[in-house]
Amino acid sequence: MCTTISFAEPEIVLGHGRRVLFVNPDDLQIFKEIELPPDLGLKGLGSQSQESCPAAAAATSTSTATATCAGKEPGGKEQQLTKQPEEGGTTASGSGVTSTSVQNVTYSPDGQLLAVTTSGGQKALLLYRSRPENARLLSTRPLARAASAVRFCSDSSSVLVTDKTGDCYQYDCVELEAPPRLLLGHLSVVYDILWSEDQQHIITCDRDDKIRVTNYPATFDIHSYCLGHREFVSGLALLTDKHIASASGDKTLRVWNYIQGKELLQHELPAPAVRLLVRQLEPEKIFQAAVLFYEHVDALGLYRLERSSDDIWSVTATQLVCAEAGSWSISNFTLTSDRIYVTGAENERLSLRVYDIATGQPATSGVPEGWVKMVLDGLGANEEGAPPFIPEDLSVWFKKRFDNVSDYLERKKRRIEEQQQQKCG
Amino acid sequence: MVATGGQAQDQSHNQEPGVLCPTSAVTGLPQKRYYRQRAHSNPIADHSFDYPARPEDVDWRSMYPSIQQGQQVSFADIGCGYGGFLITLGEMFPEKLSIGMEIRVKVSDYVVDRIAALRRKGADTGAYQNVACLRTNAMKYLPNYFAKGQLEKMFFLYPDPHFKRAKHKWRIINQALLSEYAYVLRKGGLVYTMTDVEDLHKWIVAHMEEHPLYERLTEEEANADPITPKLYQSSEEGAKVVRNKGDHFLAIFRRL
Repeated sequence: MCTTISFAEPEIVLGHGRRVLFVNPDDLQIFKEIELPPDLGLKGLGSQSQESCPAAAAATSTSTATATCAGKEPGGKEQQLTKQPEEGGTTASGSGVTSTSVQNVTYSPDGQLLAVTTSGGQKALLLYRSRPENARLLSTRPLARAASAVRFCSDSSSVLVTDKTGDCYQYDCVELEAPPRLLLGHLSVVYDILWSEDQQHIITCDRDDKIRVTNYPATFDIHSYCLGHREFVSGLALLTDKHIASASGDKTLRVWNYIQGKELLQHELPAPAVRLLVRQLEPEKIFQAAVLFYEHVDALGLYRLERSSDDIWSVTATQLVCAEAGSWSISNFTLTSDRIYVTGAENERLSLRVYDIATGQPATSGVPEGWVKMVLDGLGANEEGAPPFIPEDLSVWFKKRFDNVSDYLERKKRRIEEQQQQKCG
Repeated sequence: MVATGGQAQDQSHNQEPGVLCPTSAVTGLPQKRYYRQRAHSNPIADHSFDYPARPEDVDWRSMYPSIQQGQQVSFADIGCGYGGFLITLGEMFPEKLSIGMEIRVKVSDYVVDRIAALRRKGADTGAYQNVACLRTNAMKYLPNYFAKGQLEKMFFLYPDPHFKRAKHKWRIINQALLSEYAYVLRKGGLVYTMTDVEDLHKWIVAHMEEHPLYERLTEEEANADPITPKLYQSSEEGAKVVRNKGDHFLAIFRRL
């Protein structure tokens, strides 16, 4: 189970359990709220329209390829097609429905659309029209796997969804019935995805330390890689039309010219980075990068990124924010111009705390009295019978190093030594 | 599962002093029986690989001691097995550097030892300085080793067919990976594929032909390639197939 929190001027958007709340950070106004339908209705979708299911779409997009092979494998293709709805079927029944929860909420750049992905029993991409209506559900499309990252293109006409197997699908936001297109694939979890303003490049990062820059719409053509990280790359952010920032489990924050795949800045962090958020302070020049750390005495680091000339970047200011790390398990955060909103779990209940960006201390002014309680109540965090909230275990992001070599080499060495001894003796 | 078979075998051989050494007394080359390993490997799982972060970080000199300044690897045999074809490649193209990539510990170690032995035997001629073998997961780390457009030829000979549909993503030729191969291949570069599994051959051809960056060579072009006859002869896997009188399926593609 997870929470999602983001700031989309003028709202703070929070998702938890089956609810999404849009609140004004400065007063006790709730702009709107969304509650997931009791049943996302994927059952019907699953059985009749395979096209709208990514897994089936993958088969379709490679259909010319698979068809020939599958035709030869007795029952091969058929099997797959019947298996898909079956999965949908199990998820739609009983416990599946209740365990479905909001995973990610993303506004389209024009603010007109809202993409909500769910995880748990029913994995889906829900598209809402956010204006002028009060979040009207436009479409519900099943996802083969829970989304790992979601990103709209700059003209809001489609949305990209990646998953733990490294696949990246494009969902049309105009032709809502159009089947998703498989655009590219990694061999491990894709943690973040960017789509350049000019829509020429899709930038993805994965658990195998890689940042990949793919041409669009010719997504079969890889433009470049930004290589150098030594652990999972957890977050990406666009800085300019050719620069991105990345944060990684290797305890570095880096800036790249992604067109050339060239590293421009490497800044050491005190701990592995599991999330990255970047705010623009001055276009093309000054940015604030906020990093959430993995198990560290300070929960967050704020870094001022400045571009002094074309490809020259530096970190000109650093601020660490403790956010009472250690006393609760922090899961997510967002920034406004003067405050940091942090979500996490306390006694297996959702908790929300607000810190002052300038001091890093709990915010004493500006947050309206009762605001936090209002939000938590609105999300149903303290309701009787609400399921326990346990943030995702991020230790699995780190690569497991298991040594299958030294044993073999040791045995080999022993064998050769024995042989030599016998020769001598 | 026969993954632990090697160990048991080693112990049984401990009783026979004469055959302890992995190197044959007759040929001076390592003996394959000490390096046997099951044919399948999970290419998605974590392994303990030391891999370079970037191609610039690769210490090629440790693999090719006589590498020239500015010289780089041009041919890659992906899943090179026991290295039979890799050695042939080195003999056919003395001016080019060829690398074999193999995921299995013992098998790649065999190739490393074999190349070392061949280099010792041919020390006066400087032979086999142009071939080397790397233990790595080519499905994950090709861009860590090769720059964009670096490779002239890539070989996928007798790849693991991964028959089960659920494991098709493990196949070395799949839609997503073809883009990665196109990235490390230069324009006009060639991809050689060979298998004795007809369904896999069809899968490979269909995926490659569907990918906008590849076109298949005509039969005439394929037959005119001097490498083609070698593909039927020199890989150990190939030799086994010949004995079994199985069919070979060759397909060569050009990177557009």
